[in-house]
Amino acid sequence: MTTKKKALLGVGLYFALIVGFVIVFGTGAKNDTFQPQNEFKLETLFSIGGLDVNKAHLYILAAGILMVVTMLFVARRMQQRPNKVQTLVESAFTLMRDNITRGNMDDQMAARWFPFVASMFLFIWFSNMLGYIPLPTNVEHKIDIFGVQVPSFALYAATANLSVPLVLAFVVFAAYNTVGVVKKGPIGYLKSFIPAGVPGPMKPFIFVLEFMSNFMRLLSLSIRLFANILAGHLIILFMGGALAVLLGVAAVGAVTFPLAVALFMFEVGLVATLQAFIFATLTAIYLGGAASEAH
Amino acid sequence: MDLAVINVLAQAASEGVGADAGKAIALGVGGGLGAVGAGIGIGQIFAAVIEATTRQPEMRDEITSIQWLGFALTEACFFYGLVAGLIAFFL
Repeated sequence: MTTKKKALLGVGLYFALIVGFVIVFGTGAKNDTFQPQNEFKLETLFSIGGLDVNKAHLYILAAGILMVVTMLFVARRMQQRPNKVQTLVESAFTLMRDNITRGNMDDQMAARWFPFVASMFLFIWFSNMLGYIPLPTNVEHKIDIFGVQVPSFALYAATANLSVPLVLAFVVFAAYNTVGVVKKGPIGYLKSFIPAGVPGPMKPFIFVLEFMSNFMRLLSLSIRLFANILAGHLIILFMGGALAVLLGVAAVGAVTFPLAVALFMFEVGLVATLQAFIFATLTAIYLGGAASEAH
Repeated sequence: MDLAVINVLAQAASEGVGADAGKAIALGVGGGLGAVGAGIGIGQIFAAVIEATTRQPEMRDEITSIQWLGFALTEACFFYGLVAGLIAFFL
Protein backbone atom coordinates (compact mmCIF):
# COMPACT_ATOMS: atom_id res chain seq x y z
CA MET A 1 0.00 0.00 0.00
CA THR A 2 1.44 3.37 -0.95
CA THR A 3 1.84 6.26 1.44
CA LYS A 4 -0.87 8.21 -0.35
CA LYS A 5 -3.39 5.43 0.11
CA LYS A 6 -2.51 5.11 3.78
CA ALA A 7 -3.01 8.83 4.30
CA LEU A 8 -6.35 8.75 2.49
CA LEU A 9 -7.44 5.74 4.53
CA GLY A 10 -6.49 7.58 7.74
CA VAL A 11 -8.45 10.69 6.78
CA GLY A 12 -11.41 8.52 5.74
CA LEU A 13 -11.40 6.66 9.05
CA TYR A 14 -11.21 9.97 10.91
CA PHE A 15 -14.28 11.33 9.10
CA ALA A 16 -16.07 8.02 9.68
CA LEU A 17 -15.31 8.41 13.39
CA ILE A 18 -16.82 11.92 13.42
CA VAL A 19 -19.94 10.73 11.54
CA GLY A 20 -20.16 7.74 13.88
CA PHE A 21 -20.03 10.06 16.90
CA VAL A 22 -22.85 12.16 15.46
CA ILE A 23 -25.00 9.07 14.80
CA VAL A 24 -24.33 7.29 18.10
CA PHE A 25 -24.38 10.19 20.55
CA GLY A 26 -26.48 12.72 18.61
CA THR A 27 -26.68 16.30 19.80
CA GLY A 28 -27.42 16.79 23.47
CA ALA A 29 -28.74 19.85 25.21
CA LYS A 30 -26.59 22.89 25.89
CA ASN A 31 -24.77 22.48 29.19
CA ASP A 32 -25.16 25.36 31.65
CA THR A 33 -23.80 23.78 34.82
CA PHE A 34 -20.19 23.41 33.66
CA GLN A 35 -18.22 26.59 34.37
CA PRO A 36 -14.85 26.62 32.52
CA GLN A 37 -13.51 29.45 34.66
CA ASN A 38 -13.67 27.21 37.74
CA GLU A 39 -10.57 25.43 36.43
CA PHE A 40 -8.60 28.51 37.49
CA LYS A 41 -10.43 29.09 40.77
CA LEU A 42 -8.18 29.04 43.82
CA GLU A 43 -9.81 27.16 46.66
CA THR A 44 -8.26 26.89 50.09
CA LEU A 45 -6.88 23.40 50.52
CA PHE A 46 -5.72 23.68 54.15
CA SER A 47 -4.44 26.39 56.45
CA ILE A 48 -1.32 26.65 58.56
CA GLY A 49 -1.63 29.07 61.47
CA GLY A 50 -4.04 31.47 59.77
CA LEU A 51 -2.36 31.23 56.37
CA ASP A 52 -4.71 29.77 53.79
CA VAL A 53 -2.82 27.59 51.33
CA ASN A 54 -4.20 27.00 47.85
CA LYS A 55 -2.88 25.18 44.82
CA ALA A 56 -1.07 28.22 43.40
CA HIS A 57 1.10 28.37 46.54
CA LEU A 58 1.92 24.70 46.19
CA TYR A 59 2.82 25.17 42.52
CA ILE A 60 5.19 28.07 43.32
CA LEU A 61 6.80 26.03 46.09
CA ALA A 62 7.11 22.98 43.85
CA ALA A 63 8.67 25.02 41.02
CA GLY A 64 11.18 26.62 43.38
CA ILE A 65 12.18 23.36 45.06
CA LEU A 66 12.37 21.50 41.75
CA MET A 67 14.55 24.22 40.22
CA VAL A 68 17.01 24.33 43.13
CA VAL A 69 17.21 20.55 43.52
CA THR A 70 17.64 19.83 39.79
CA MET A 71 20.28 22.48 39.28
CA LEU A 72 22.24 21.52 42.41
CA PHE A 73 22.03 17.84 41.42
CA VAL A 74 23.39 18.55 37.95
CA ALA A 75 26.05 20.95 39.26
CA ARG A 76 27.33 18.42 41.82
CA ARG A 77 27.73 15.68 39.25
CA MET A 78 29.64 17.51 36.55
CA GLN A 79 31.67 15.09 34.44
CA GLN A 80 34.38 15.37 31.83
CA ARG A 81 32.29 13.50 29.32
CA PRO A 82 28.84 15.02 29.74
CA ASN A 83 25.68 12.97 29.45
CA LYS A 84 22.50 14.29 27.83
CA VAL A 85 21.14 16.13 30.87
CA GLN A 86 24.44 17.87 31.53
CA THR A 87 24.71 18.92 27.88
CA LEU A 88 21.21 20.37 28.05
CA VAL A 89 21.90 22.30 31.24
CA GLU A 90 25.23 23.53 29.89
CA SER A 91 23.63 24.83 26.71
CA ALA A 92 20.94 26.55 28.82
CA PHE A 93 23.75 28.07 30.89
CA THR A 94 25.48 29.35 27.76
CA LEU A 95 22.20 30.80 26.51
CA MET A 96 21.58 32.59 29.80
CA ARG A 97 25.12 33.87 30.23
CA ASP A 98 26.18 34.81 26.72
CA ASN A 99 22.97 35.60 24.86
CA ILE A 100 20.75 37.00 27.56
CA THR A 101 23.06 38.63 30.10
CA ARG A 102 26.26 39.57 28.28
CA GLY A 103 24.44 40.56 25.11
CA ASN A 104 22.64 43.37 26.91
CA MET A 105 25.07 44.82 29.47
CA ASP A 106 28.80 45.30 29.93
CA ASP A 107 30.93 42.45 31.30
CA GLN A 108 31.45 43.74 34.83
CA MET A 109 27.74 44.30 35.33
CA ALA A 110 26.93 40.98 33.65
CA ALA A 111 29.07 39.11 36.18
CA ARG A 112 27.12 40.73 39.01
CA TRP A 113 23.61 40.35 37.56
CA PHE A 114 23.92 36.95 35.87
CA PRO A 115 22.61 34.98 38.91
CA PHE A 116 19.54 37.23 39.13
CA VAL A 117 18.66 36.96 35.44
CA ALA A 118 19.40 33.23 35.34
CA SER A 119 17.24 32.45 38.35
CA MET A 120 14.39 34.48 36.83
CA PHE A 121 14.72 32.41 33.66
CA LEU A 122 14.89 29.07 35.43
CA PHE A 123 12.08 29.79 37.88
CA ILE A 124 9.69 30.88 35.13
CA TRP A 125 10.74 27.96 32.94
CA PHE A 126 10.18 25.42 35.71
CA SER A 127 6.82 26.84 36.72
CA ASN A 128 5.66 26.99 33.08
CA MET A 129 6.74 23.42 32.45
CA LEU A 130 5.17 22.20 35.69
CA GLY A 131 1.93 23.65 34.37
CA TYR A 132 1.80 21.13 31.53
CA ILE A 133 2.07 18.05 33.73
CA PRO A 134 -1.36 16.81 34.85
CA LEU A 135 -1.37 16.78 38.64
CA PRO A 136 -4.19 15.88 41.06
CA THR A 137 -5.24 19.44 41.92
CA ASN A 138 -8.92 19.68 41.02
CA VAL A 139 -10.64 19.30 44.41
CA GLU A 140 -14.05 20.10 42.95
CA HIS A 141 -14.36 16.68 41.30
CA LYS A 142 -12.91 13.64 43.04
CA ILE A 143 -12.28 10.30 41.43
CA ASP A 144 -12.19 6.92 43.09
CA ILE A 145 -8.93 4.96 42.76
CA PHE A 146 -9.15 1.65 44.68
CA GLY A 147 -11.38 3.21 47.32
CA VAL A 148 -9.24 6.32 47.86
CA GLN A 149 -10.78 9.66 46.98
CA VAL A 150 -8.20 11.45 44.83
CA PRO A 151 -8.74 14.92 43.34
CA SER A 152 -9.05 14.61 39.57
CA PHE A 153 -6.05 15.42 37.43
CA ALA A 154 -5.88 18.94 36.03
CA LEU A 155 -3.48 21.37 34.41
CA TYR A 156 -2.64 24.52 36.34
CA ALA A 157 0.37 26.79 36.34
CA ALA A 158 1.41 29.31 38.96
CA THR A 159 2.25 31.76 36.17
CA ALA A 160 -1.35 31.51 34.87
CA ASN A 161 -2.31 33.64 37.87
CA LEU A 162 -1.62 37.36 37.44
CA SER A 163 -0.18 37.88 40.93
CA VAL A 164 2.88 35.67 40.39
CA PRO A 165 4.22 37.41 37.23
CA LEU A 166 3.29 40.75 38.82
CA VAL A 167 5.51 40.06 41.83
CA LEU A 168 8.37 38.99 39.54
CA ALA A 169 7.86 42.19 37.51
CA PHE A 170 7.94 44.27 40.73
CA VAL A 171 11.26 42.68 41.67
CA VAL A 172 12.68 43.50 38.24
CA PHE A 173 11.26 47.05 38.39
CA ALA A 174 12.83 47.69 41.79
CA ALA A 175 16.14 46.18 40.66
CA TYR A 176 16.66 48.22 37.50
CA ASN A 177 15.48 51.49 39.03
CA THR A 178 17.86 50.97 41.93
CA VAL A 179 20.70 50.27 39.50
CA GLY A 180 19.93 53.47 37.62
CA VAL A 181 19.73 55.62 40.78
CA VAL A 182 22.94 54.16 42.23
CA LYS A 183 24.82 54.58 38.97
CA LYS A 184 23.71 58.11 38.04
CA GLY A 185 22.21 59.61 41.19
CA PRO A 186 18.48 60.43 41.53
CA ILE A 187 18.60 63.61 39.39
CA GLY A 188 20.87 62.11 36.78
CA TYR A 189 18.66 59.04 36.48
CA LEU A 190 15.57 61.19 35.94
CA LYS A 191 17.47 63.27 33.37
CA SER A 192 18.50 60.13 31.51
CA PHE A 193 14.86 59.43 30.67
CA ILE A 194 15.10 62.12 27.98
CA PRO A 195 16.83 60.70 24.89
CA ALA A 196 19.73 62.65 23.42
CA GLY A 197 18.91 65.10 20.62
CA VAL A 198 15.45 66.17 21.80
CA PRO A 199 14.94 69.93 21.26
CA GLY A 200 14.43 72.10 24.37
CA PRO A 201 10.68 72.82 24.34
CA MET A 202 9.84 69.18 23.72
CA LYS A 203 11.79 67.96 26.75
CA PRO A 204 9.05 68.12 29.44
CA PHE A 205 6.58 66.36 27.17
CA ILE A 206 9.02 63.58 26.27
CA PHE A 207 9.98 63.24 29.95
CA VAL A 208 6.37 62.67 31.05
CA LEU A 209 5.90 60.14 28.24
CA GLU A 210 9.07 58.21 29.09
CA PHE A 211 8.29 58.34 32.81
CA MET A 212 4.86 56.82 32.14
CA SER A 213 6.34 54.17 29.88
CA ASN A 214 8.66 53.22 32.72
CA PHE A 215 5.59 52.19 34.71
CA MET A 216 3.96 50.57 31.71
CA ARG A 217 6.88 48.14 31.65
CA LEU A 218 5.54 46.74 34.92
CA LEU A 219 2.20 46.02 33.26
CA SER A 220 3.52 44.69 29.97
CA LEU A 221 6.10 42.45 31.65
CA SER A 222 3.53 40.79 33.91
CA ILE A 223 0.55 40.64 31.56
CA ARG A 224 2.63 39.17 28.72
CA LEU A 225 3.67 36.15 30.76
CA PHE A 226 0.32 35.71 32.51
CA ALA A 227 -1.78 36.05 29.36
CA ASN A 228 0.37 33.68 27.30
CA ILE A 229 0.20 30.91 29.86
CA LEU A 230 -3.47 31.49 30.71
CA ALA A 231 -4.51 31.55 27.05
CA GLY A 232 -2.49 28.41 26.35
CA HIS A 233 -4.18 26.55 29.20
CA LEU A 234 -7.62 27.83 28.18
CA ILE A 235 -7.16 26.74 24.56
CA ILE A 236 -5.97 23.29 25.64
CA LEU A 237 -8.96 23.08 27.99
CA PHE A 238 -11.49 24.09 25.34
CA MET A 239 -10.02 21.93 22.59
CA GLY A 240 -9.46 18.95 24.86
CA GLY A 241 -13.12 18.54 25.72
CA ALA A 242 -14.66 21.61 27.35
CA LEU A 243 -16.14 22.77 24.05
CA ALA A 244 -17.83 19.41 23.51
CA VAL A 245 -19.16 19.45 27.09
CA LEU A 246 -20.41 23.03 26.85
CA LEU A 247 -22.21 22.51 23.55
CA GLY A 248 -23.30 18.98 24.41
CA VAL A 249 -22.18 17.62 21.03
CA ALA A 250 -19.82 14.65 21.25
CA ALA A 251 -18.71 14.94 17.60
CA VAL A 252 -17.13 18.34 18.36
CA GLY A 253 -14.77 16.53 20.71
CA ALA A 254 -13.63 14.21 17.93
CA VAL A 255 -12.84 17.24 15.78
CA THR A 256 -11.06 19.32 18.42
CA PHE A 257 -9.07 16.65 20.26
CA PRO A 258 -6.27 16.30 17.63
CA LEU A 259 -6.02 20.10 17.74
CA ALA A 260 -5.63 19.89 21.50
CA VAL A 261 -2.69 17.50 21.13
CA ALA A 262 -1.06 19.77 18.52
CA LEU A 263 -1.55 22.88 20.67
CA PHE A 264 -0.22 21.07 23.74
CA MET A 265 2.98 20.24 21.86
CA PHE A 266 3.22 23.84 20.62
CA GLU A 267 2.83 25.18 24.16
CA VAL A 268 5.34 22.77 25.70
CA GLY A 269 7.86 23.01 22.89
CA LEU A 270 7.81 26.73 22.19
CA VAL A 271 5.71 28.99 24.39
CA ALA A 272 6.88 27.81 27.82
CA THR A 273 10.56 28.26 26.99
CA LEU A 274 10.02 31.36 24.86
CA GLN A 275 8.17 33.22 27.60
CA ALA A 276 10.90 32.45 30.14
CA PHE A 277 13.48 33.63 27.59
CA ILE A 278 11.56 36.85 26.88
CA PHE A 279 11.14 37.67 30.55
CA ALA A 280 14.84 37.14 31.25
CA THR A 281 15.92 39.04 28.12
CA LEU A 282 13.74 42.04 28.94
CA THR A 283 15.05 41.99 32.51
CA ALA A 284 18.60 42.12 31.16
CA ILE A 285 17.70 44.87 28.64
CA TYR A 286 16.09 47.03 31.35
CA LEU A 287 19.04 46.52 33.70
CA GLY A 288 21.53 47.33 30.96
CA GLY A 289 19.49 50.33 29.81
CA ALA A 290 19.23 51.80 33.31
CA ALA A 291 23.02 51.68 33.72
CA SER A 292 24.08 52.86 30.27
CA GLU A 293 24.55 56.53 29.42
CA ALA A 294 22.09 56.85 26.53
CA HIS A 295 18.75 55.57 27.72
CA MET B 1 -41.38 46.87 7.05
CA ASP B 2 -43.93 47.83 9.62
CA LEU B 3 -42.45 49.79 12.53
CA ALA B 4 -44.58 47.82 14.97
CA VAL B 5 -42.30 44.83 14.34
CA ILE B 6 -39.57 46.61 16.28
CA ASN B 7 -41.86 46.88 19.31
CA VAL B 8 -42.72 43.19 19.06
CA LEU B 9 -39.05 42.26 18.81
CA ALA B 10 -38.14 44.52 21.71
CA GLN B 11 -40.78 42.87 23.90
CA ALA B 12 -39.76 39.40 22.83
CA ALA B 13 -36.18 39.98 23.94
CA SER B 14 -36.04 38.98 27.57
CA GLU B 15 -34.01 40.62 30.32
CA GLY B 16 -30.24 40.15 30.08
CA VAL B 17 -30.06 39.17 26.43
CA GLY B 18 -28.45 42.49 25.55
CA ALA B 19 -25.77 41.96 28.17
CA ASP B 20 -25.06 38.44 26.85
CA ALA B 21 -24.77 39.76 23.32
CA GLY B 22 -22.39 42.48 24.49
CA LYS B 23 -20.19 39.90 26.22
CA ALA B 24 -20.09 37.70 23.12
CA ILE B 25 -19.19 40.71 20.97
CA ALA B 26 -16.44 41.67 23.43
CA LEU B 27 -14.90 38.19 23.21
CA GLY B 28 -15.21 38.14 19.43
CA VAL B 29 -13.66 41.56 18.93
CA GLY B 30 -10.95 41.03 21.55
CA GLY B 31 -9.94 37.64 20.19
CA GLY B 32 -10.63 38.13 16.50
CA LEU B 33 -9.32 41.62 15.80
CA GLY B 34 -6.38 41.02 18.12
CA ALA B 35 -5.45 37.95 16.10
CA VAL B 36 -5.59 39.97 12.86
CA GLY B 37 -3.07 42.54 14.08
CA ALA B 38 -0.73 40.05 15.70
CA GLY B 39 -0.91 37.78 12.64
CA ILE B 40 0.18 40.59 10.33
CA GLY B 41 2.98 41.52 12.73
CA ILE B 42 4.30 37.97 13.08
CA GLY B 43 4.17 37.51 9.33
CA GLN B 44 6.24 40.64 8.82
CA ILE B 45 8.80 39.51 11.39
CA PHE B 46 9.32 36.14 9.71
CA ALA B 47 9.40 37.72 6.27
CA ALA B 48 12.15 40.05 7.45
CA VAL B 49 14.04 37.14 9.03
CA ILE B 50 13.94 35.11 5.82
CA GLU B 51 15.11 38.10 3.81
CA ALA B 52 17.91 38.92 6.25
CA THR B 53 19.22 35.35 6.47
CA THR B 54 19.22 34.89 2.71
CA ARG B 55 21.16 38.12 2.30
CA GLN B 56 23.62 37.42 5.11
CA PRO B 57 23.64 33.74 6.12
CA GLU B 58 26.59 34.30 8.47
CA MET B 59 24.40 36.53 10.70
CA ARG B 60 21.95 33.69 11.29
CA ASP B 61 22.66 33.12 15.00
CA GLU B 62 22.26 36.75 15.92
CA ILE B 63 19.10 37.09 13.87
CA THR B 64 17.54 34.00 15.45
CA SER B 65 17.61 35.39 18.97
CA ILE B 66 16.21 38.76 17.85
CA GLN B 67 13.58 36.92 15.82
CA TRP B 68 12.19 35.08 18.85
CA LEU B 69 12.22 38.29 20.88
CA GLY B 70 10.18 40.05 18.22
CA PHE B 71 7.88 37.08 17.81
CA ALA B 72 7.05 36.89 21.51
CA LEU B 73 6.59 40.66 21.88
CA THR B 74 4.18 40.72 18.93
CA GLU B 75 2.33 37.61 19.98
CA ALA B 76 1.75 39.08 23.42
CA CYS B 77 -0.33 41.89 21.87
CA PHE B 78 -2.85 39.30 20.71
CA PHE B 79 -3.12 37.94 24.22
CA TYR B 80 -3.81 41.40 25.68
CA GLY B 81 -6.94 41.58 23.53
CA LEU B 82 -7.89 37.98 24.17
CA VAL B 83 -7.59 38.31 27.94
CA ALA B 84 -9.65 41.50 27.92
CA GLY B 85 -12.32 39.64 25.93
CA LEU B 86 -12.24 36.65 28.27
CA ILE B 87 -12.54 38.92 31.31
CA ALA B 88 -15.58 40.59 29.74
CA PHE B 89 -17.10 37.23 28.84
CA PHE B 90 -16.61 35.25 32.04
CA LEU B 91 -16.34 37.75 34.90
